[in-house]
Amino acid sequence: MSAKTVPVWDLWPGEVTWQPMSPKLRTVWVLRSLLNLFLLAVVAAVPLGIWLGWRGVLWALCGYVLLAGLRAWAVARTVATWGYAEREEDLLVRHGLLTRRLNIVPYGRIQLIDLSAGPIERMFGLTTVQVRTAALGSTSEVPGLEPAVASALRDRLALRAAEVREGL
Amino acid sequence: MSDEPAPPLAAAPLGPEVPVAAPSAPPEGVQRQRLHPLTPLLESFRFLTAAAAAAGIQAFTSRNFLFAIYIALAAAVIGGIASLIALQYRGFVIWGRELHIYGGVFTRSHRTVPLERLQSVDLVRPIRARLFGLAQLNIEVAGGDGTDARLAYLKADRALALRAELLAIAGRPAAPVAEPAEDEEAPEAVPDRDAGLLVPQLTVRRLALASFLEALPAQITFLAVFGTAFAVAGSIFGFTRVATVVWVGFLAPALVGYIQSTIAAVNRFLRNGRFRIARDGTNLLIQRGLTDTSHETVPVDRVTGVSFAEPVLWRSRQWKRVEVWTAAVAQQSATAVRSTTALPVGGPDEVAAVAAAAVPDLPSVFATERPPQRARWRMPLRWKRTGAALTERAFVVRHGLWVNTHVALPYARIQSVKVTQGRVQRMQGLATVRAMAAGGVGHDAVAVDRDAREAVAMAAELRDRADAAAALERPRLS
Repeated sequence: MSAKTVPVWDLWPGEVTWQPMSPKLRTVWVLRSLLNLFLLAVVAAVPLGIWLGWRGVLWALCGYVLLAGLRAWAVARTVATWGYAEREEDLLVRHGLLTRRLNIVPYGRIQLIDLSAGPIERMFGLTTVQVRTAALGSTSEVPGLEPAVASALRDRLALRAAEVREGL
Repeated sequence: MSDEPAPPLAAAPLGPEVPVAAPSAPPEGVQRQRLHPLTPLLESFRFLTAAAAAAGIQAFTSRNFLFAIYIALAAAVIGGIASLIALQYRGFVIWGRELHIYGGVFTRSHRTVPLERLQSVDLVRPIRARLFGLAQLNIEVAGGDGTDARLAYLKADRALALRAELLAIAGRPAAPVAEPAEDEEAPEAVPDRDAGLLVPQLTVRRLALASFLEALPAQITFLAVFGTAFAVAGSIFGFTRVATVVWVGFLAPALVGYIQSTIAAVNRFLRNGRFRIARDGTNLLIQRGLTDTSHETVPVDRVTGVSFAEPVLWRSRQWKRVEVWTAAVAQQSATAVRSTTALPVGGPDEVAAVAAAAVPDLPSVFATERPPQRARWRMPLRWKRTGAALTERAFVVRHGLWVNTHVALPYARIQSVKVTQGRVQRMQGLATVRAMAAGGVGHDAVAVDRDAREAVAMAAELRDRADAAAALERPRLS
């Protein structure tokens, strides 16, 4: 079997133990995408309703159900690809269903660590950890962690970052 | 968010000890040193020319010469008074180890420059200042908020003396002990401040030829496209209609762009004229400019990457241009990156000399490995000139058709590494490796379309080498 069907991160030389995200993350993201789509559907329903009457609203609803189903399926599959691994000297973050991404952030280069949580995330008690280095556009996110896990990860990262500071 | 206490910090902050002296303002009575009286005039240079042009047009169109004279008189009187007032509030004081710069009439500004953290003092001479024998000092401070402090304008000799004085206070030329992490570079850098230049001064003829050859492909392409578009459209619709309609709608904007690019090329030529580069301890000193002379200082230990550009018509002459990326930390996480031309054009020997001076032991000729054959259709023309290599000191990637560029990123400067695999790449088993250096977008080394397995191995290897290289350097906050 060639490398073609294997996700790119599974080719990593050596053993990496990937930590999964919280199982609630899937619920959160599916809900979030449904909500976003719902707003879009409402926006679309107004002109359609004016144009076609109740039929238009029905059309908007049908479109919403169809798109929401597809979107929810895609999001649910995407969530499964997220994962992070703490190695000796660096943090690996992988994600992406169609475009696979693997970010490697050395502890020594970490400049900022943010914890954040959106409204839906807060409802389910999840937290996102963001890690920044001096390179622009190299923000790595680890979403969907339990608050305790997130702050523990933050503390570990901060400690390691202070120990092995490497600067620019 | 969460209220847990922050984790304990490391025992001591590593890096240069910056004595936290309270920013003590000098007492009121201290005599401020003044800037040159012509300063306001030069700073409102554009405004004055605009006013003069407006007055001229007014006089020409309405034949009302008296009005123009009134305008000129009013401008002169108001400008003169304003500049006299402004000069009272502008000035600077060297107080202890700090430089205080004052300015502003309505909103007073007072800027304190801690000279311990002085990064560089650049002497810049724009052409309008050169007319009056004046110069400007750009002062850069490590850990500043990105904007340079500026002292403009001063008499040229006074500016030079002040520069020397500031550097002496900062302890830079006499005892460069304030500079951390130079221990590895030190043995390599023979202190040849007097011996002078790394490469012989660039002759104007060579630079002109190089600029011409660099601009030529774009010029030819543009003229060909422009000409054929005009001829084809003209022969179909008749030249007069084309000349009026298409001209305004399409060709005129294109022409503006063309003229702009030409002006940019000429400007680059003027800026790089009389280019001299020398090495002074841990700094590269660059002096350049035909019309506007400027001095620049590039601290070698801040070099995050070196790029070697080779425009297509330079290839037969083996010329290359060397650019050096440097990063300076700003207050927030935003990091300012500059790319400084370290050699506008040079043959293999000169390129090698400059590269070795910018990054110790960096070679200037690299053997890069191309992406696999199956990636060829993705970039049929570029494929031959694309590649990546893990050399001894640096991660080297190569890309570009018209301007073939080698980018060398020293391992110790790699911030984070990314591997991405697009959907088409996934079908082909390819992946792209991206090594990021500190700072802006575009300042990173991208190895496109490597074999997926190789790409991941490359990323892992890059990480290992980056750690090894960084461990060799003394830890620092820089």
